[in-house]
Amino acid sequence: MIDFRTYKLENGLRLIVHEDRSTPLIAMNLLYDAGSRDEDPSKTGMAHLLEHLMFCGTENIPEYDLPLQLAGGENNAFTNNDITNYYITLPAANVETAFWLESDRMQAPGFSDSKLEVQKSVVIEEFRQRYLNQPYGDAMLLLRPLAYKSHPYRWPTIGVEPEHILGITLEDVRHFFDRHYNPGKAILTLTGNITPDRAYELSQKWFGPIQAGKDHVRKLPAEPEQTGERRLNIERNVPADALYKAWHMGPRSGSDFHTMDVITDLLAGGESGRLYNRVVRDLNLFSEINAYITSDIDPGLVVVTGKIMKGVDIDKAEQAVDQVIQELIDSGIPDNELEKVKNRYESSSVLSNTSILNKAMNLSVFELLGSVSSINTEVEAYRAVSKLMISEAANMYLKPANCSTLWYLASKNQGK
Amino acid sequence: MSMLSRKQPPLHPFDAQIDIPLRSMTLGNGAKLFMIEAGTEDVLRLECVFRAGIIKEERPLLSSSVNMMLTEGSIRFSAEELNEMLDYYGIFINLQAERDSAGLTAFFLSRYFEKALELFSEILFRPVFPVKEFDKLMKKRLNWYRINREKVQNLAGNRFFESVFGPDHPYGRQPLEPDFDNLNPEMLRVFHARYYRPDEMAIIISGRIPESAVYLLEKHLGCQSSEKNHITETEAGIKGSLSKIDHIRKKGAVQTAVRIGTATINKRHADYPGLKFLNVLLGGYFGSRLMKNLREEKGYTYGIHSMVSSFDKSGLWMISTEAGRENSSKAVAEIKKEINILMKELVPAGEMAVVNNYMAGELVRSFDGPIAIAESFRSAWEFGLDLSYFSRMMHTIRTISPEEVLRLANTYFTTEDLYEITAG
Repeated sequence: MIDFRTYKLENGLRLIVHEDRSTPLIAMNLLYDAGSRDEDPSKTGMAHLLEHLMFCGTENIPEYDLPLQLAGGENNAFTNNDITNYYITLPAANVETAFWLESDRMQAPGFSDSKLEVQKSVVIEEFRQRYLNQPYGDAMLLLRPLAYKSHPYRWPTIGVEPEHILGITLEDVRHFFDRHYNPGKAILTLTGNITPDRAYELSQKWFGPIQAGKDHVRKLPAEPEQTGERRLNIERNVPADALYKAWHMGPRSGSDFHTMDVITDLLAGGESGRLYNRVVRDLNLFSEINAYITSDIDPGLVVVTGKIMKGVDIDKAEQAVDQVIQELIDSGIPDNELEKVKNRYESSSVLSNTSILNKAMNLSVFELLGSVSSINTEVEAYRAVSKLMISEAANMYLKPANCSTLWYLASKNQGK
Repeated sequence: MSMLSRKQPPLHPFDAQIDIPLRSMTLGNGAKLFMIEAGTEDVLRLECVFRAGIIKEERPLLSSSVNMMLTEGSIRFSAEELNEMLDYYGIFINLQAERDSAGLTAFFLSRYFEKALELFSEILFRPVFPVKEFDKLMKKRLNWYRINREKVQNLAGNRFFESVFGPDHPYGRQPLEPDFDNLNPEMLRVFHARYYRPDEMAIIISGRIPESAVYLLEKHLGCQSSEKNHITETEAGIKGSLSKIDHIRKKGAVQTAVRIGTATINKRHADYPGLKFLNVLLGGYFGSRLMKNLREEKGYTYGIHSMVSSFDKSGLWMISTEAGRENSSKAVAEIKKEINILMKELVPAGEMAVVNNYMAGELVRSFDGPIAIAESFRSAWEFGLDLSYFSRMMHTIRTISPEEVLRLANTYFTTEDLYEITAG
């Protein structure tokens, strides 16, 4: 059970505080309701590039990291399809430094052409390092546009291609910032060695004077229902074939979200999942197999990925995967197996709450989803998933007409 | 308009409290037990450490294969059953085979403590290394190996270790494709019997520890015994290769991976805390000289890091980065330039203060919560050091002078004899 208090400032900023006196530290998490789904389709990579620029200093604070390091703090950030999330941990005595830093760059970020140019090259190196210069690194770059035809989830957070990032101007950056980075679009969460009153007082002091932004109503194209199987085969210079399959599912707040998470755990959670037992352990068709849901706010994907053993026919490997999924739809699940998946969830949920930073991130995300108190009912929500819910959801989503399949093939004339 | 001054940081001094609620004792069979009571949730971290690392292996892949086979079948349970039970009780385990030690680390809810111990005693002391599972593991590992060989980071990193420690020393030796055919279950059994010895095991447990913990640990792990064996080990010396500069060509790579560094002192040396300080200043945090120069000023790379790490027989200093092909030689030149400056010029007081506070904050973080405390404890204990190591570290961080940093740079840094490995 995680205790918390919530507040709302006049400018719209939401504040959540969870006090934990067992730690000498404080975590501050600042979530902006802005992700790559909010980008112009011709300027993808914008949200993530902006995240980089937020660390490049302002008029008041020329070097963002310097005072934080002097305060004994550490920070980082990530961007995904839905959100941009900044976080700091630091000794409790210096909590005000965190307020000072985060409020300053919210009220007046110090963008400039030279900073933009440097961060464009840094981000392009990141693009190369993580997606282009890795075996299978571009698989999700290929799978997304196969699965999504209209919704902005069709592009990845890093961007469609380095050229999009190169084309972004300072004006584009300012426009995106003004639209999304204001108190009404942000959730501030404090966890650790601080009282709610003190956190509220400091929030008023540092964030209170920031002007509320203009209202912007998000209007994203809905993804039309997929009505037929989609396939893409590509060849790359990799040592083994790989299989990627993605099915559409409901949104994060939908009634079957937990059910789908349970299904992917039944398939590939731990080393006792059904897929692992069949296609890795018994049949030796794959060297690794994985299944997960993307957990996106808008309707997301169920994804299965696997690396195929050398000499195994990918068609045969895929059939084995399909068969395991068909069995899940056709025949019931033993009580024990369902209990196992729920126990695993409970365990990982309690474990993730041993860190004040995880708690701060989780609280922020649940607030964004509409109810911060869900953090304490998630385990129950998983416990409530029944066999009937599983077979209905599997039947509804895990059908071929709803599936996009990518065969990532090792090229035949592989050079050394 | 707000009257708030946004120019000055509201800074306060802080200190790291390095007091671990540690209890240590010896179990009936001689195993060492360390208990750290900490945390707010009913969860436990339990680690069993053996001197069964890569350093002990006579041929490549042996230590890691033994370790990975621990959950692939025991006297009482098949591989499926073991994994099914671990998952059923929500016990997350990491099997690890490192350079000097091997074992397992597990995370689970306190209420499954006894169940976890029952399973660990099977996993650790009664594995049977079934042939079928063994063959599959080696095939899988070969598949992973081939995939990893496609990554420039691995190509450069592996060659770097091979060059620094020499191809004949277990720290440096790299597996080749035929090595995946050169092991058999009997070799694994022999290695296991020799090195997974209950009497030489160390158990580190942290979190909300149940009252019955010692009784249950005695019951499940403290009663395991093994025959005394007297092993005479021949120890290979560390002999780095003579050629210091090497490049591995990788067709089609759009980035070049760079690894630069050399062997150095380890944690047992009195200069180690100071060397850590120097290394953080060079490339160990976001505001470091290398990060500022190569990333934030020139945009050559997404990231660059310098690290100093400790092994039982040696220390290692390594700078790593991935840069666009067109920039990689410029990146290497800038790295050497920054090392040179540290060897010639005193570090300004302002920068000293930043590193001082940044590292002190890191030290606070490394004692926050049961998981971090256990990891910190282990990192000192495995070098035969006690917690005064961290007090010395804190003292060094807070009091080191620019003159001492300069002395350390001239003692441990160099630009002449560095290994310089690139792949791309």
